This record gives sequence, structure tokens and C-alpha cells, in this order.
Amino acid sequence: MRRLFADRLVFATGVIVILMSILFALLRAAG
Amino acid sequence: MRLRYAVRGAAWVAIYLLFILAPLFALLAGSLPPARDFWTEFAIALGYSGLAMMGLQFGLTARFRYVTEPWGEDVIYHFHRQISLIAVGLVVAHALIIFATQPELLAPLNVIQAPWSARLAVLSILAVIALVVTALWRVTLKISYEAWHLTHIALAVVAITAGILHMVGSGFYLADPGKRVLWIGLTIFWIGLLLYVRIVKPLFMLRRPYRVSEVRKERGDTSTLVMRPDGHPGFRFSPGQFGWLTVWGSPFKITGHPFSFSSSAAVMDGRVEMSIRNLGDFTSAIDKVPVGQRVYLDGPYGAFTIGNPADMHVLIAGGVGVTPMMSMIRTLADQGDTRPVILLYGSRDWEAITFREELEALKARLNLTVVHVLANPSAGWTGEQGFITADVFKRHLPPPYADHEYFICGPDVMMDAIEKALSEMNVPLSKYHSERYSFV
Repeated sequence: MRRLFADRLVFATGVIVILMSILFALLRAAG
Repeated sequence: MRLRYAVRGAAWVAIYLLFILAPLFALLAGSLPPARDFWTEFAIALGYSGLAMMGLQFGLTARFRYVTEPWGEDVIYHFHRQISLIAVGLVVAHALIIFATQPELLAPLNVIQAPWSARLAVLSILAVIALVVTALWRVTLKISYEAWHLTHIALAVVAITAGILHMVGSGFYLADPGKRVLWIGLTIFWIGLLLYVRIVKPLFMLRRPYRVSEVRKERGDTSTLVMRPDGHPGFRFSPGQFGWLTVWGSPFKITGHPFSFSSSAAVMDGRVEMSIRNLGDFTSAIDKVPVGQRVYLDGPYGAFTIGNPADMHVLIAGGVGVTPMMSMIRTLADQGDTRPVILLYGSRDWEAITFREELEALKARLNLTVVHVLANPSAGWTGEQGFITADVFKRHLPPPYADHEYFICGPDVMMDAIEKALSEMNVPLSKYHSERYSFV
């Protein structure tokens, strides 16, 4: 169960990092 | 205690994300090179994020007690393994998007003509892929744990060093001296964490050795090493915690092995005991360790420990998973604790029950009930048999089940089954504590 929590944390981290990478790219592409 | 751990856990998650995202967004500060299209910038961001995540892997395995405490070492290692797949995914996606948007870059992949930054990118990605393949399929590939451990560290250093040199060589964002210093500094910091674990900590341990004062044979093909600090006061631990043990060789040896302390934490002379089952690997030689042997202990670690205001402790052990429970029971007995303790203890058969006689004796000093569950009982056995299930809980525990604190240690398959059973009995997650001894 604790590992399930860790799995969710991994998933959330991945999603946050990808979203932030999109934000980074949008900020740059928009100049 | 639990709230403090929750706050600390949340703070560490925030710091973890900060270490990935702050250096990325720092690239947007100050003077900027000309903007490129969305996909190129997205790919670049994935590459930087992936590299930062790979670097932070050194932090996750650096055995910082303050970091691992809120989670437990087994969960940290589980996170380390799972997040590596995300990091590798980001790095590979970085390369694929770059090649999809700029196919002309594929040409320099010819190793003879390619610029060195491109070669380093290829080296980094190959090292990362080798890291994942050898980690996921080590047993299938028949790589010994020790050889894999050394290769794992070497590949990680190569992947990260080649990755940062690729970024520096590619120029663009890191053409800015400040940003270059930031990212190179971060890489040095990550690799410094590795040096801390592999050089600084072992140096400290070298000055604080232990001596084996007794090797006790236990039931269930298990031996107890009794170790005393040699020339120092030792450390205090909480019952249920574990340490990394190096029996043969120096503390600089790459592979240490985690074992729970089985002795009472109330002992004041620094003596610690570890009870180790013969699993056919290096553990088969534990019973031959000579008295007087110098050993090294790195610890204590782990969040799997009593010390809460529970009405009663329910300890659930499978096989050698009983060792942290023995530490808890011995400590509670030494402290004169009067709360009820129930040990549900799964073993192969009656003769293989490690600490069987001592558990009987401890009933005189503690409000202790021991329920043996035997997988292969003899013909006359009238007790519980098979595996520890929700039905076994209901037969031996007083309701309401959600009021007790549950401590579980055993093989993965048993722990999965127990966690499912407790969930079916509506025991909240906050009430059970577990440590998987197969986490490395």
C-alpha cells in the first residue's frame, strides 16, 4: 500500500515535470 | 510523530521538484538565445529535466536518515526504481523529438564525423538504457548482485557526466556562463552525493568498527551475530530499524547488506544483534564468522518502528521477517510495557520457528500472545495453518480492528496479501507499518 502511494508520487512527479516542460516551451516559443 | 513525518515528507517532495524545475526555469533568466519552435524547446526542457532527475537519484540512495525517515527506506528505493523509468523516458523522448523535428541532425550520428557533443549524447543515452536493462533484468542476465551494483554506479556516473558535457557542448542555453556554472555545479553536487556515500561515510565507519562477540545458532537456519562497538560508544536505534552490515572487507566495499536489528533497543552498552537466515548466498557463511571478527555497521535506518500511543501492537511476521519484531518485543519487555502485543507469525513448520523458545519465555514478562501459522504443519498440529489471512486476524484480534497498530514484515507476496486483508477489514493506511526486507 505504501508502495502504491510511492507509485502515485512517481506518476504525479512525471506529470508535473512534463507539464512544466510544456510551460517552459510555451514561454520560449511565445518569445 | 505521524503529522511531523507527513509535513517532512511533503517538504521533501517540494524540494525534490524544486531541484528539477528551478534549474530548468533558471535557463529562462537573463539574456536568452533566439527562440525556437515549441517542439524543439519542449524536447530541450525534457532533456534538462531528465538529467536533473537522474542526478537526484544519487540523493535518493545517499542514505540521508532525515530524508528517508518519513517514508521508509524500502519506499525510497521503490521510488528510486520507478522514477528512473520516468527519467529515462524523458531523456529518450528528448532525443526522439529532436530527431523528428530536425532530421538533419541524424546525419552527425555517424561516430566518425559527429561533433563531440553529439557523441556524448549517444553515450549518455546508451548508458541510461544499459542502466535500466541491467536493473530490470539483472537476474535474467545472470549478473551477480555485486557486479551489477558496481556497474550500476559506473553507468550512472557515465550517463550524467556525458549528459552534462553534451549540454555544455551543444551551447545554446549553457553558452551563458552563469547558467553553465549552475548546471555544472549541480552535476558536481550530484556526483558529490555519491562520493559522500562511498568515501566520506565509509571513512567515518572505518573509525567506528564493531567486533563480533558471539555467533548464536537459531532455529530456521538462522544465525544471530552479536556485535559490540570497538573503541566507541556505538549508536542507539529504535526497535524495528535496520543497519547496513559489512562482514568481510572494508566499509569501502560497494555492496553492504541491510539487516534488521533483532536485539532490544533498551540495551545501553552499544551491543547490537542481527539475526540472519541462510538464503544460499553470502548469508550461508554467516554462521562461520569467527568471534572477534571486525565488522562495520551503517545505521540505524528505517521508519518501521514502534513508539506510538497504540492500544495494542499487532505484529505480523513471515519467516525471517520476525527479526524486527523480536527487537520490538524484547524492547517492550525490557521497558516493562503493559499493553497487549499479538504476534502472528508465519513459518514453514514447527521446527523452523526462529526464536520459538524465547518467545514462549517472553510471555512471562509481557502481555504477549503468539499465534503460529504453519505452512507445512505436522499431522498432529491443531493451530493455524496455511497463510496469514483476514480470517486469521478475525479469529485472534479483538474488534474494532482499526484501533490497533499493525506492523508487518515478511516476503513480498505475504505483505501484499496482508495489506489487502487489512484493507478489507477497513484498517486505515495510517495504522499499518511495514518494511520490505527485499528492497535492494
